[in-house]
Amino acid sequence: MTVVVGYVVGKSGPAPLNLAVEVAAALGTSLVVATVVPQPWSTPSMARVDAEYAAWANTLAAESRAEAAAHLADTTGLDISYRQVSAGTSGDGLVELTEELGADVLVVGSSSDGALGQVVLGTTTDWLLHSSPVPVAISPRGYRGARGGRITRLTCAYSGSPNSVRVVELVAELTAGRPVAMRVISFAIRGRTMFPPEVGLHAEDSILEVWAADLRTMLAKLRSDGIVTGDVELQVITGNGWDQALDNTEWDDGELLMLGTTGRRGIKGVFLGSHGAKIIRYSPVPVVVLPK
Amino acid sequence: MGSSALSLTEQMLRRRPAVGAPVAHGASDHLKRSIGTFQLTMFGVGATVGTGIFIVLQQAVPKAGPAVLVSFILAGIAAGLSAICYAEMAAAVPVSGSTYSYAYTTMGEVVAMGVAACLLLEYGVSMSATSIGWSQYLNELLNNVFGFRIPEALTSAPWGTEHPGIMNLPATILIALCALLLIRGASESATVNTIMVIIKLAVLALFVAVAFTAFNSDHFHDFWAKGFHGITGAAATIFFTFIGLDAVSTAGDEVKNPQKTMPRAIIAALLVVTSIYILVAFAGLGTQDAAEFGSDEQAEAGLSVILRNVLHGQTWASNILALGAVISIFSVTLVVMYGQTRILFAMGRDGLLPSRFAKVNPTTMTPVNNTIIVAIITGLLAGFVPIDYLWDLVSIGTLVAFIVVSVGVIILRVREPDLPRSFKVPGYPVTPVLSVLACLIVLAGLPRITWVWFILWVAVVLVFYFLWSRHHSALNDGGDGVIPTVAPGVGS
Repeated sequence: MTVVVGYVVGKSGPAPLNLAVEVAAALGTSLVVATVVPQPWSTPSMARVDAEYAAWANTLAAESRAEAAAHLADTTGLDISYRQVSAGTSGDGLVELTEELGADVLVVGSSSDGALGQVVLGTTTDWLLHSSPVPVAISPRGYRGARGGRITRLTCAYSGSPNSVRVVELVAELTAGRPVAMRVISFAIRGRTMFPPEVGLHAEDSILEVWAADLRTMLAKLRSDGIVTGDVELQVITGNGWDQALDNTEWDDGELLMLGTTGRRGIKGVFLGSHGAKIIRYSPVPVVVLPK
Repeated sequence: MGSSALSLTEQMLRRRPAVGAPVAHGASDHLKRSIGTFQLTMFGVGATVGTGIFIVLQQAVPKAGPAVLVSFILAGIAAGLSAICYAEMAAAVPVSGSTYSYAYTTMGEVVAMGVAACLLLEYGVSMSATSIGWSQYLNELLNNVFGFRIPEALTSAPWGTEHPGIMNLPATILIALCALLLIRGASESATVNTIMVIIKLAVLALFVAVAFTAFNSDHFHDFWAKGFHGITGAAATIFFTFIGLDAVSTAGDEVKNPQKTMPRAIIAALLVVTSIYILVAFAGLGTQDAAEFGSDEQAEAGLSVILRNVLHGQTWASNILALGAVISIFSVTLVVMYGQTRILFAMGRDGLLPSRFAKVNPTTMTPVNNTIIVAIITGLLAGFVPIDYLWDLVSIGTLVAFIVVSVGVIILRVREPDLPRSFKVPGYPVTPVLSVLACLIVLAGLPRITWVWFILWVAVVLVFYFLWSRHHSALNDGGDGVIPTVAPGVGS
């Protein structure tokens, strides 16, 4: 039982550390800050390039550790340790460590080329999403942590697919007995208008309405089936696009968005489901992607 | 049966309330609420100039001769008057914007079903016929550029033409492609729409420019040879090329000062569209004898063939025109199919069609069942029926639907004079009456066979209404018929 956070100096800043501290605190477990460095060559070379390479890797790990430790110096009540992992890719290293430690959650940061406050998947994160055996939590770029200092609510994005029912069940289990609220939301996105004669420009509104009503029924069924309890908030959120729908959503301080995956491997869109990929892109809060 | 409490007449005449929940403002993401006259005019031009002008001359000119120019004006007047009436209806009844729902709120269920029959006919035929037109221009393009023609067996319907084949494969493929795109939720964005308008106008301008090089005023002698009947007959065929002007009318709640802007934009769009059409027709007529429009050679991809003849076999202009037609007709087919599925969706929601038509697929978030049914039916029509000779059916459906709207304006004024309307028809009650008259004159020009088909089809739909729909209407069992709409935002 632990939380692993991948951290390399200069990569995504302290955002993943801030998220990892909150997650570990919420789960009441320890935190391992992992820095993955490139694997050195096992055959010594005459010019000692290999040794130089290894030395550079060690420096990188030490710097990362020092910086993380400095950032986490004020954190109290949490058992924090540091690990250096050598692996072919960052993703491999993090997965190996996660398996070795039997970690509950793997925390990573957003790619640094996204906008502040947005969750942007870098190549490593993208790979982790379909390789990690445990949930992957991704911090938005520049995430500073909840003002209240703790995770207050978990929101599940629910599409009605069997897989998203499983996400809801998992989150219900997670929040049971913890001082963390739960919410289930479904998004209804309005299709774009075309201009056919004699049909009017509002045809898409009625499709949106039917869909929103379907979603409300599905959400109510979660409750009547006993999958969620009466105190769980259920919401259907509509918008003209995914960006607007996520903007229209009210987010609490210390909220996490929980998503399932479609379990298919391959390119990002297919794997996350095209909707999942869009939800992640516009989410203003940290996203936790649960493996299939 | 829950409906047994109501008499048949009561069922037939029951109406949906005119005042529904207001349509979510700003919910349509392409139209901001501050549209001015110019933008609205351009919007109308874009929605109107479609496939029609690429195909219509070959059918209309043989009927009216050079006087087809007058037919264009006649059809334009009827379309313009209808569009103005349509605008008042859109302002008074904010529920949806389709002629079907206007009929439902003003004249009752059975008339709504009749209008729905018109719309389904109009859309079904025009989609199949459009895709056939597309396959012809595609073939012309392939022939000119690669010297390769798709074998006739695969571009002709198996009966009803002079050269029967097995099926029209390209047309069927086009419909399948459009269905796939719609299922995936693709739509033609405002930008693409604009590009399509530019392509269409550009190739039409090219046609006019090239055709004028071979202009010979001799082709205009015997201007009135075909007489008044020929003119109205051609106007009836031509009418379908003006469909789309009503898109201006439904944009009412997004428009600045609609009382002023709306009629101006409708008239301006009408003038622009009519001018374009007349220019194309005038240029085309100048190149050849009116009789030649009906020749075998020009039955397919007519405008391209004219350009090829004008340039004595040089094909560059003909190729550009064919390419423009292939691109723009594709986009028209997509929009028409979209319209068809949305009408069926509305009917499914009202309980007049089985509810599967109003089902939204949770994965694609589009009405998938509905789209597949439409694709199968129109795909079969396009593949196996030479339906491109049936454009008159499109016109008749639209004209009847427009008459219903104009009459609806009068009925609603009488019955609910105090209903808030952001736009009122100028010159009431003369304008709606003129609109009905104009549509009737154009209708009178249609051949008897068109009427027979039309009446048969409406009868089939009404039989369905009496046997099935009236027992399943959403207005049964105390349903209030108010269709809720959602505003973007949080609901619970």
